[in-house]
Amino acid sequence: MIELKQVTKQYGQATVLKNITLSIDKPGIYCLLGRNGAGKTTLLKSIAGYQNITNGTIQVDGKTITTSTLGTGVSYIENFAKHFNLPVRKLLRIASEVNPNYDYDFASEMMERFELDGKKKFHHLSLGMKTMVSTIICLASNKEVILLDEPVLGFDAIMRVEFYDMLTESFQKHPRIIIVSTHIIEEIAKTIQKLIIIDKGSVRFFDTLQSVETKAFRISGLQKDVEAATRNLNVIGQDSVGGLVTSYIFDNPPKQTASLEIHPLSLQDFFIQMVGHKGGRTR
Amino acid sequence: MTAILAIVKRLLASNKISFIITALVVLCATSSGDIVLSNGNYTWLLAVLTPFFFVFYDFTKLMYLGTSKKDYFFSCLISYGFLAFGISLVNTAIHLLIDPVYPAQTVINMMDVCKWTENGIVAAGLQQMFFLLLVMVFLHVLLSMQTHWYGWLTDAVLVAIICIFTPIAPLRAVLTGIFQTIMLNSNAVLHIGICLLLSAALSLGGLVVLKRKTL
Repeated sequence: MIELKQVTKQYGQATVLKNITLSIDKPGIYCLLGRNGAGKTTLLKSIAGYQNITNGTIQVDGKTITTSTLGTGVSYIENFAKHFNLPVRKLLRIASEVNPNYDYDFASEMMERFELDGKKKFHHLSLGMKTMVSTIICLASNKEVILLDEPVLGFDAIMRVEFYDMLTESFQKHPRIIIVSTHIIEEIAKTIQKLIIIDKGSVRFFDTLQSVETKAFRISGLQKDVEAATRNLNVIGQDSVGGLVTSYIFDNPPKQTASLEIHPLSLQDFFIQMVGHKGGRTR
Repeated sequence: MTAILAIVKRLLASNKISFIITALVVLCATSSGDIVLSNGNYTWLLAVLTPFFFVFYDFTKLMYLGTSKKDYFFSCLISYGFLAFGISLVNTAIHLLIDPVYPAQTVINMMDVCKWTENGIVAAGLQQMFFLLLVMVFLHVLLSMQTHWYGWLTDAVLVAIICIFTPIAPLRAVLTGIFQTIMLNSNAVLHIGICLLLSAALSLGGLVVLKRKTL
């Protein structure tokens, strides 16, 4: 279980995380979405105990996490993780030796499936392959919390599909909390249970995908009709072209009328509306 | 314990450059004249180089492999102990077997300079081992602090102490006393005790620094 209470992180004058309170209590695959610089990496590194927060508390399975925590039960990997320049197979074996709960069979199986050359040294791998090795090491660690920071960076389409399958298999084999930060929203939708949207250091959304499917809608029509239909609803964004208005809502949809067009929002559109920016300007 | 031993193995294996540089210097260093330096002295180079690799090269990589900070800390201490034993063994062997073969009249080995051989070769070897352990732990802590402001402050304080204490006679006596206690000490029991005590104290300091270390 991960529990964040009023977590704030400042770098000098800049506040990267703003008073975040969040509780993740069930095993599952969670997707962390946010724009570049939204605070995703800072949040994940703080949960892993790789950096300290300025205010608040982070607990994992009841244990307070700071850089002072000598054994966290959290495994974190970022896409540019540095590893010893050793052959991949040897690297995976060393990871199994230094980590008592490591699932070496799973790591070997994944190495074969992703056609990673076990004899090839880490520095000789492509960016995608390096990220894959890091991800395998992280998932095979079998720790109770797995944090993957942009794991699909540098992956081709086939590798991404394989990666999502690997994530599901790993979770089914050993259910635990897995948080994946990514920008490729639609692809990961089939794999995840819950979505966390972070923007400008604050959590904007934390709920299931089903809630997005049942509550996120785009309503278009004449301004007066749209305004009347969305008067008491949770409007998360609005566009207007001439006299036509499109409102984006996260609420129960209004009744369909001839003057309104109501369509469900895609995950990507929902994310764009939630973070509320267009061309750097707040809507 | 298995994890710690695996980390020790990895730390030593990734310290190849230090081993090679030290071996090259020990094998290739030459001196001439009636008074020459023993090549065994250069084995100490390994004790100086190793902490650089453990702190700046191995830490991040081991963390990404899933090592805990606790295991890293104990593994470093065990590795330093093992290396101190190995370096001391090699230098003692050179002092016993190679130094007497030199055509020069006097061969200077640090074990003689530090007065450790006055207590017999076994005690000298042990004194050397614990002194080298202290050197490695000291360097490890100092290097670990370099990413923090207090690391730079410690550097400045150390430089200031040497610069101020050296030219002023009473302070120089204090500095000499410190070096005589931790290095040029013929009392084996006292010397080993002080080295162990300081190593333990520095290790605790190192643990505090490690707890603040970010990735």
